[in-house]
Amino acid sequence: MMDSIGLLTLITFSPLLGVLLLAFVPSNKAGTIKLIGVLVSFIPLILSFVMFSSFDSTINGMQFVEDFDWIQIPLADNAMIEFKYSLGVDGLSMPLVVLSAIVASMSAIAAVNMIKKRWKEYFILFFLMQVGLYGVFAAQNLFLFFIFFEITLITMFFLVGIWGLDKREDAAFTFLLYNGLGSAILLISFVVLLMSAGYYEGANGTTIFTTDIQTIIFNLNNSASPYELLGVGVSDAIKYGVFFALLVAFGIKVPLFPFHSWILKVHYQAPPPMSMILSGVLLKIGAYGLFRMNYGFFPEITETFSTLLIILGIINLFYGGILAFVQEDMKMVVVYSSISHVGIIILGLGAMNSFGFQGAVFQIVSHGLLASLFFYIVGVMYNRVHTTKFSELGGMAKTMPFTSGILLTGALASLGLPGMSGFISEFLTFLGLFENRPILAAISTLGVVLTTVYLLRSVLNVTYGPTAEKLTHVSDARSVEMIPMVVLVGFVILVGVYPAILSEPIQATLQLFLTRIGG
Amino acid sequence: MLENAWLVPLFPLISFVLLVAFGRQLKEGAAYVGIVSLLSSFIVALGILFERLGHDAENYIQNFNWLTIGDKTLTVGFEITPLNALMLFVVTLVSLMVHIYSKGYMHGDERFPVFYTYLSLFTFSMLSLVISPNLLQAFIFWELVGAASFLLIGFYYFKPSARSAAKKAFIVTRIGDLGLLIGISLLFWQVGTFEYAGVFEAVEQGLVEPGFITLTAILIFIGAIGKSGQFPLHTWLPDAMEGPTPVSALIHAATMVAAGVYLVARTFPLFEASETAMYVVATVGGFTAIFAASIGLVQNDIKRVLAYSTVSQLGYMMLALGSAGFIAGVFHLFTHAFFKALLFLTAGSVIHAVHTQNIKEMGGLGKEMKITRAVFLIGALAISGFPGLAGFFSKDLILMSVYESGHVTLFWMALIAAVMTAFYMFRLYFLVFSGKPRHNANVHESPKNMTIPMIILSLLAIFAGYIEFFGFGEWITNNGVIAEEVEGPKWIMYLSIIAAFGGIALAWLMYGRDNKVKTGEPRGLHKLLFNKYYIDELYSTVVVRPYTIFGYVLKFFDKYVIGGLVQLSVWFSKAIGKIGSRLQNGQVQAYGLITIIGLVLLLVSLTAGRLLG
Repeated sequence: MMDSIGLLTLITFSPLLGVLLLAFVPSNKAGTIKLIGVLVSFIPLILSFVMFSSFDSTINGMQFVEDFDWIQIPLADNAMIEFKYSLGVDGLSMPLVVLSAIVASMSAIAAVNMIKKRWKEYFILFFLMQVGLYGVFAAQNLFLFFIFFEITLITMFFLVGIWGLDKREDAAFTFLLYNGLGSAILLISFVVLLMSAGYYEGANGTTIFTTDIQTIIFNLNNSASPYELLGVGVSDAIKYGVFFALLVAFGIKVPLFPFHSWILKVHYQAPPPMSMILSGVLLKIGAYGLFRMNYGFFPEITETFSTLLIILGIINLFYGGILAFVQEDMKMVVVYSSISHVGIIILGLGAMNSFGFQGAVFQIVSHGLLASLFFYIVGVMYNRVHTTKFSELGGMAKTMPFTSGILLTGALASLGLPGMSGFISEFLTFLGLFENRPILAAISTLGVVLTTVYLLRSVLNVTYGPTAEKLTHVSDARSVEMIPMVVLVGFVILVGVYPAILSEPIQATLQLFLTRIGG
Repeated sequence: MLENAWLVPLFPLISFVLLVAFGRQLKEGAAYVGIVSLLSSFIVALGILFERLGHDAENYIQNFNWLTIGDKTLTVGFEITPLNALMLFVVTLVSLMVHIYSKGYMHGDERFPVFYTYLSLFTFSMLSLVISPNLLQAFIFWELVGAASFLLIGFYYFKPSARSAAKKAFIVTRIGDLGLLIGISLLFWQVGTFEYAGVFEAVEQGLVEPGFITLTAILIFIGAIGKSGQFPLHTWLPDAMEGPTPVSALIHAATMVAAGVYLVARTFPLFEASETAMYVVATVGGFTAIFAASIGLVQNDIKRVLAYSTVSQLGYMMLALGSAGFIAGVFHLFTHAFFKALLFLTAGSVIHAVHTQNIKEMGGLGKEMKITRAVFLIGALAISGFPGLAGFFSKDLILMSVYESGHVTLFWMALIAAVMTAFYMFRLYFLVFSGKPRHNANVHESPKNMTIPMIILSLLAIFAGYIEFFGFGEWITNNGVIAEEVEGPKWIMYLSIIAAFGGIALAWLMYGRDNKVKTGEPRGLHKLLFNKYYIDELYSTVVVRPYTIFGYVLKFFDKYVIGGLVQLSVWFSKAIGKIGSRLQNGQVQAYGLITIIGLVLLLVSLTAGRLLG
């Protein structure tokens, strides 16, 4: 069997190697634990680069497919239920796996300086969480997706609850409550999908119930699908119901207004390496779900409600942008900035054309890189001065020129300066919106000004001006601390200058998505 | 040579990368990296200009695919037209002068290499903007020059005033950029391309509705308003004087702020197709010219006077373009670059010597600073429209164009602004260089690496205008393809000479004769002008404060309304938890396990239930 283990399985489960290694290390050997933590995190990163380079951009369907029988439950009446272990990536999920690996490995480096206790447990949980992270994007089966999804949720609950700031337990509880609610809705939706559209006819006329994503897509969008043969159909009420249930479930994760409250508390309390993961990739599961499931299962309903999506996007963009402007704490600015920036993803989805879709995927990647960069820098600052309040900061450029320079670069990227990834995503999204919805597009471009206003206010408050007392004796980032900054900014510039590196692999898949409207 | 035009921006880019990587080690040696790269660019730009001057020379364009989205391909590339060949020459020349000058001016600054890094970034972006063959690429570098300008304005980052000036510049120009972004996006979906040539073709063939042309042209012009400091987005430019003075010369006088004018000139066929758009351009330009000049009459900061002068002169250029005076607008852009860069560099030389920017604390500097005085006088005469100097020819052509276009009011406004220009320049001259010293500084002439660039620019301020007699109009318009040459009545020329002398004479009467400095609070009209018509205060009251208040209201809403709902649900679920407290063993781990097991069980049972039932 060994030779049939695919690349995606290797990526997903390679972090378990770290768990295995850590089992043999005494918990007081901090150095060894951290070394294993960082090195093992690089295995999925390298493997994901291998996947990226052998990815075939001309194929619009799934690649690196792995499909194994897993659980089969025979039922009465010549029927059975099957859950397959099936993995695969297309142009939508492949970049997300790579992004996850980049952010996770940087988060591991960040943890070296920022996690101060119980390293062994920390890294074990961190590795388990990575399994969920890669798995959720690779899963081609709703059941499998759900399991990976839950793994990220539970591990994150502990990671925040044990290693966060002083109100960590409260934050972890809020996190679990909100996300638990989200997953409950998700679960109900999946069950409804399984019951209404999750079956096909197997050999000997057996009816096989499945949660295979492709089967469900086929059944929902094909009039000649097997359920017609069976004499049952999916009513519009179910379709709309599931669509909105999924919208809420993923909306909590994204998060969409008014479901955003949880990330305020969680981000503020979470240890910086976990904030990086959370905003960099975990929240992107929501955006991914909107594409893969809301749009994937119900392209026509999504199109019907595209105006709603655009308005939701604009609300997020403005709401987060305005609130980021009145914050008195750098960390809160970063959190509200996150809320604002995910609005662009929703706008791109709502644009319903190739520019918009491309813009949305670019924004997922771009914001993933930038949000983790911001949380990382805030963490580096916090490590030195134990505050993120503007009233106690200022003039950081004097004592920490490198870190300040990176922060300023990140801010410029985030407000959409050309040459960096943020520009490509915003430009493509807005351009896409302008094709059919010029008025809404023009309104949403105002978000660019709001972003500029709050980012400059906050970043200049921290870095420019007379040097604050707390910052007069601190030292700049050490070389280990510089690695995540340089790597993340490097990718931000790479995508900004040479966007084809991302647009080409995702192109075919997104075109396939678009043909589903009205098809 | 034309096919190698990409080399021009490449050298500064290399310099930028080198300085980012090794700036710290190079220390003040960084200046040489910058100067050598700019010298190389200048030589290539000069070669391009000469080749493009040839009789049978044609426009050159080269494109590469950059990004394919759906069935559309976005390209990047470069082009050489008479207009941008001229711009390449101006930008590389002024930038080279500033690079050399800064070596002396910035000497001893602990962030010396950073300064050159930013200068390189700016020059790279500006040159790339100029050779862009399409609106998207132009927009990209348009934004980058803005960012470089922001960095340079905030160069003295520890000063709160520099911090707010940098922020203001970025935000205000971004509001203009929004117009540009919307404009090019709308055009793209209408004509299917960002290429200048493609857009003009579609306009010419009547494929675009007239109303749509007007709309997009005005949107593009809004971008130009922001960048070129036109009313009502002019407020950032005077504040931008917080940056080091060489930066003011390069970016906020000669090159970047002229980018707005350049953009309008480059997209001139689009504007020409809409009478309304042209009228808007002319009116905004004409109004800005007189409006800014009037503020410049009473300011006491030498750099601010020059800044308002720049705003005013850019207004002239816009006025010319809007009056169909394509040649006049571009011509003035060309001559203004030299004499305004010169004036800023001389101002820098003065500030370097007396360590103040307040003209009331200067006086009598001419004795010790003979070169600075002489070149400042040349610059002042050139901008005032003194016969025979560069500004005279281009300003005269602008007045002709405006008169011929029939905008009578605008014509007289421009003429009055010309009087004001001469007045505020010579007010500066008399208060700074003549009379008795009102300062205690030990004044010396600036070092050679500062005076030589000034002398070179002063020669150009004298002679640059004579290109008019060597077929400039014909050449810049591609033999009349873009616009017609304008001829106007001779009396306009005499009137403009009278305006120049009138302004100078008035300045002499008020400040030259007895060299008195008025003290006391300004009153009446003087107060209004001194406070810049209270435009900043107006924006603060109408925009900034309401926005901030709204932000705090929303913050309250977010915390207590949205957050309150969350607290309520947390409380609720905790209450339920207490009821089922027997299940609790106090360990979060158990909760997690129960959650996942519970959910999996739920999944299985629900499925089975549906099927069996």
